[in-house]
Amino acid sequence: MVLEVTAKDPETGKVLYHDTRKYFEIGLDLDGFMRYGAWQIKEIVDLTLQPLKTQHERFFFTFDQKDLEKAEIAVNVYYYISGKKGDLIYQEKKVVEFPEMP
Amino acid sequence: MALLVSIFVFLLFSSFSMAEKLTFPNQLIDDFDTFVATYDAKRCAECHEDVYEEWKESYHSRSMISSIKGIANFFTVGVPKEWEKELNKQEIIKCLDCHLPQIKFATERLAQEIATYMIKAKLGKGKEKEEARAKLKKLNLSCYGCHNIKIAGTAPGITGHIDPNVIYTSGEGESDAHETEHTPVLKRAFFCVQCHGVYIAPDGESTYCNTLSGSYVHNYIGQGGRKTCQDCHMYAKGRGHRMPGGHDLEIVKEGIDFQAEIRAFRYGVGKWVPAVNVEAFLTNKAGHRVPDG
Repeated sequence: MVLEVTAKDPETGKVLYHDTRKYFEIGLDLDGFMRYGAWQIKEIVDLTLQPLKTQHERFFFTFDQKDLEKAEIAVNVYYYISGKKGDLIYQEKKVVEFPEMP
Repeated sequence: MALLVSIFVFLLFSSFSMAEKLTFPNQLIDDFDTFVATYDAKRCAECHEDVYEEWKESYHSRSMISSIKGIANFFTVGVPKEWEKELNKQEIIKCLDCHLPQIKFATERLAQEIATYMIKAKLGKGKEKEEARAKLKKLNLSCYGCHNIKIAGTAPGITGHIDPNVIYTSGEGESDAHETEHTPVLKRAFFCVQCHGVYIAPDGESTYCNTLSGSYVHNYIGQGGRKTCQDCHMYAKGRGHRMPGGHDLEIVKEGIDFQAEIRAFRYGVGKWVPAVNVEAFLTNKAGHRVPDG
């Protein structure tokens, strides 16, 4: 599962910011090796969303373009049934305006 | 007229009572087609068509064809190269005890034949690959896998000897078509856990394809969760034997709540650069960690 935050210039579509958080299970082991084969996995570092728990993520970012007036912010949640196929299951999208300062 | 009706009723009941009961062999099978026909879920569909149709949509009905990559990797890399062992039934069963429980009734030769189809389905080319895939499509976790073979896998000390000719059910009804035994364990999460968990082979080796049970037992039940696998994956919304899971976006979304707060402002006294703060909340409402399984 991937939580993705993207900021774009609403006029040009240019990506101004992009970051992700990934929640996965298989297969980092305790020695730091990736283990993909079911027969190889004996213990894993659990990087999943835990049952009955809320995972809180904070994304704070600034833009170099001081004259930027607006940005389109998209927060997407993708569910990957395999490493290749990701489905968008939630999205929150908003065009924000930056207030003028004296 | 009364005589004719009497004869008709007599013939109807006598033919019904003479109908052959559903039986299964208690010996090893060596022929692929006989093996397929013996455990074919269609044998149950004559009476349980609705359940059969649900099951056909499930991944249980595709338990071999949908897992070619992982199983073939085990057969071609895990066993021969990493473990330096011969690929025999004892090793093959480490995957197929769950993906094809009836492998228990396959001879050593047939088990190896099925393993060869798995390997050819991944590594073969053209017609050879297609033929192997066609064979694997006939193999799956069928009714008999859960309603007989795996019954003994949960708590053999309680279930005792499993009779190959008894169909074990969660309900209490009887059937003229087969011997039936009421088995409440089918309603319990730990019945599913024997495959959707760490699988421990008879020789002590473990395989770790589906690991829901650890998080279910310790992180869900341990925090007050009280639903079983069946509550969400079978009973809710009439899902029945379709048993949707990670491949079904509806149930995936049911398991996860999402909220996001997006705010824009200017940051840094005097500099006032454009800034954004996103607070995102993902709540896992499922009875196990996500993703998993």
